[in-house]
Amino acid sequence: MASKRSGFGKDRALQSRMLLTIFLLGLLYAAIVGGLIASGASVVTIAVIAIALFALQIFTSDKLALKTMGAREVTPQEQPELHAIVERLCIQADLPKPRVAVMDHNMPNAFATGRTQKTATVCATTGLLRMLEPAELEGVIGHELSHVINRDVMVMTIASFAAMISAVIIRFAFFFGAMGGGMGMGRGMGGGGRGGGGDEEEAIIVVILASVVIYAISFVLLRALSRYREFAADRGSAILTGRPSALASALIKISGTIERIPSNDLRSAEGMSAFFIVPARAKNSMMNIFADHPPLDQRLAALARLEQQLQDTGK
Amino acid sequence: MGLLDALVGRRSVKGPAARERLFALSTAYITLQTEQNIVSAGVAGIVFQPLATSDFTSIVKDMEEVVKATAGDMGASVETKDDDYGFRWLIVRDQSSVEDLVVSINGVSTAIEEGGYGERLLCAVFAFKDATGAQINFIYNYKRGSWYPFVPAGGAQQRSVERELQLKAQIGAELPIEPELERWFPLWGIPF
Repeated sequence: MASKRSGFGKDRALQSRMLLTIFLLGLLYAAIVGGLIASGASVVTIAVIAIALFALQIFTSDKLALKTMGAREVTPQEQPELHAIVERLCIQADLPKPRVAVMDHNMPNAFATGRTQKTATVCATTGLLRMLEPAELEGVIGHELSHVINRDVMVMTIASFAAMISAVIIRFAFFFGAMGGGMGMGRGMGGGGRGGGGDEEEAIIVVILASVVIYAISFVLLRALSRYREFAADRGSAILTGRPSALASALIKISGTIERIPSNDLRSAEGMSAFFIVPARAKNSMMNIFADHPPLDQRLAALARLEQQLQDTGK
Repeated sequence: MGLLDALVGRRSVKGPAARERLFALSTAYITLQTEQNIVSAGVAGIVFQPLATSDFTSIVKDMEEVVKATAGDMGASVETKDDDYGFRWLIVRDQSSVEDLVVSINGVSTAIEEGGYGERLLCAVFAFKDATGAQINFIYNYKRGSWYPFVPAGGAQQRSVERELQLKAQIGAELPIEPELERWFPLWGIPF
């Protein structure tokens, strides 16, 4: 039931940007398949390879992510607060409860995996749990749950499929190319080859070049899509928790730029440290992890707009 | 949520379920009392997300005054509490009847919904005691319009699933119980 007044408007610009990106990625798919057919591989071969790779990617990626990160599922007894926050947000979002995992690491961070809402896992690092206040933690968990609701793992897996295929083609084409024309993509795998070795080599070079181009384009598009999905998840979290500024505060803390709003009273600053021009800041490392996230400033600005909309409702 | 919504990451928070089934407790309580020896603990609470905006604050303030006034007429007391997770509890104590508790809680949710903030309602909790004196809670999930039992067991974050399933079997015919067990979310630290 939609309420009379909604605290937040719609972000049509974000939605249309996302649709455009998805459309362009779809176009790449078509280009790959077309290119493969043109290069002489049979349609059946392409379909079999594609489906096999796709299944492999879909069914292994999330478990792999959890394992390689060293995340461990925790019981409500071990992490009562984290579980309680997840549970309340699940009631609020009308979502089945995902598994809750914790990763033993000082770096404050969180992520969500899982192809479907039922198999999802939300994971937070111990560093995050230590650093954030409950309301801020709620904002971060709301962000991760929004990823689950938006099925971002599925969307990104499907979207990145084009990039993965072209990466595989580049590798295979080089390999087979090195072994000589006879084993090329066309004849060796698909059957209906094209005649002489010279043609074969040319075709391979064309496939390689096309794959490189496709890989490059899809890489850029994927990064863009990923950033849009981050904005959408921030927005989802703000709507879910009703506290955009709590998430903003969490993001500021996480990215290590807490110095922007000093928490130490000026008077209590010891010695001369208050007069340093550049505050001692050890971390730039977070930027690497957030590489396919939008810049913090933009995320904070988007959250500030949401807070503004919220405050203006009913006026 | 549709495929397009998932693709573009569109989100809206679900409001209260179309079919209001809060009042089902009034009739179900008769069965609870007569057949299961489960009696009301005389207290119920409603949980919602308080938005930090002037609009929402004034709606809640007006609502609290109305509920306090009407509850006072019925001989009940009302208090509000903010819990550790930033949710607000409005707690009504009324020893006389479960029906009055339901009416009071419904007054709160109606006021919040009419203010246009129905999606901020989380759930309502009604406390009961069984023959052994153990506390039994029935939780009403506003988003889904369904009930489920929640029985904390001794020890941290332990719940008596067995007892809850028994209760479902005993009262399921009269109270619309949430069919999906994974939606039986616990509420730890109920402030009554």
